[in-house]
Amino acid sequence: MSGGKVSFIDSKGYPVIFMILITMLFIGILATFYHATIDRISIYQEISYRKALLDLFGLPQDNIEADYSNYIRKIVKDNIQYYEASRDSNLIGYAFEIKGNGLWGTITALIAVNQDITRLLKIEILSQNETPGLGGRITEKWFKNQFSNKLIWEDGALIQFNLVPENEEISDSQIRQITGATSSSKAVVDMIFRNLQKINEKMDLTND
Amino acid sequence: MTKKQIFITSAFTENSVWKQILGICSALAVTNIMMNSLVMGLGVIFTLALSSLSISLIRNYIPRRVRMMVQTLIIASYVIIVDIFLKAYFPEISKSLGPYVGLIITNCIIMGRMEAFAAKNRPVEAMIDGIGAGVGYTLVLLIISFVRELFGFGSLFGLQILGGWWTNWSIMVMAPSAFFMLAILIWIIEGPLAARRSARKV
Repeated sequence: MSGGKVSFIDSKGYPVIFMILITMLFIGILATFYHATIDRISIYQEISYRKALLDLFGLPQDNIEADYSNYIRKIVKDNIQYYEASRDSNLIGYAFEIKGNGLWGTITALIAVNQDITRLLKIEILSQNETPGLGGRITEKWFKNQFSNKLIWEDGALIQFNLVPENEEISDSQIRQITGATSSSKAVVDMIFRNLQKINEKMDLTND
Repeated sequence: MTKKQIFITSAFTENSVWKQILGICSALAVTNIMMNSLVMGLGVIFTLALSSLSISLIRNYIPRRVRMMVQTLIIASYVIIVDIFLKAYFPEISKSLGPYVGLIITNCIIMGRMEAFAAKNRPVEAMIDGIGAGVGYTLVLLIISFVRELFGFGSLFGLQILGGWWTNWSIMVMAPSAFFMLAILIWIIEGPLAARRSARKV
């Protein structure tokens, strides 16, 4: 505008007002989109968690909802939360959610043990931020399956697994590590060992 | 420039990666598996196209002093939409890409196209330019990941191609190999190929 008068678009307040309006507009779009998908995301997360639990105990997964309520019971006792799996009123074992430090962030996993906590049944990695293609391979089947049916308790002590190179044969207490991802492989093994120690202490107390 | 020329310029002639050396960080990070590269590329194309369109639509109203803030805000919004969309509809891919989707926000190509093109051109042209730059970027990711996945895992898009006789090259899985591949790609395009093209013109 002429005559020395500053037009609105050149005024000092304009950028502030513009920023506020555009922020509100885009936050609004995001909030709408988020609300439209949040249910879908949380349902998926819940289902995949239950599916993982059923899978750990080798239970059927034809109807996740029904099978889960048939076989699995969530128990919260003395500051410890775990899942108890039973089939035809026979106890199969317990599952625990565990956490540990990976190379880049926290690794979360589910581990299942047999009823007297002497054997691992299976493990499942729930979340991790390891290097894709290297440490990220801790989610690969061959790596996870090495932990299946591993003896963890012998002569009154917890067994610590040793790591051996990826293509070597392994004995009972050994785990093949991922080539190029020693730290991530070690992180998983350590995480399992440390949490099993805790679980042993706590579960002993609860059994007494 | 016609719309076709805009597309070809931004996708090939002035390709963001091999001509302007932008977007290198993500080109190194996600290119060891083809599937991740493809999804990453599609995410960038989507973000570029819509950010360009939005910026261009309001280009005459954006105050100059805060234009970068506005661009970042708009880019970030579209990236979060991509992230949520993948989480809701392609949870497996979302899981394997992890934090990289969010990092599209910091992809220099996007900010570069906003400043260089979208802020000065009409919406449709801006969108075509955005898609072009995204396609050019995706092309580079796919070429690099093709070589890296093939030599690093013996597979393409997760399908085993090379048999048991093949020994995987671990270096191809790790980030340094992306540097070599990218350098070789730029050399091929800017060296021998460019020389042949100019020889033909003369």
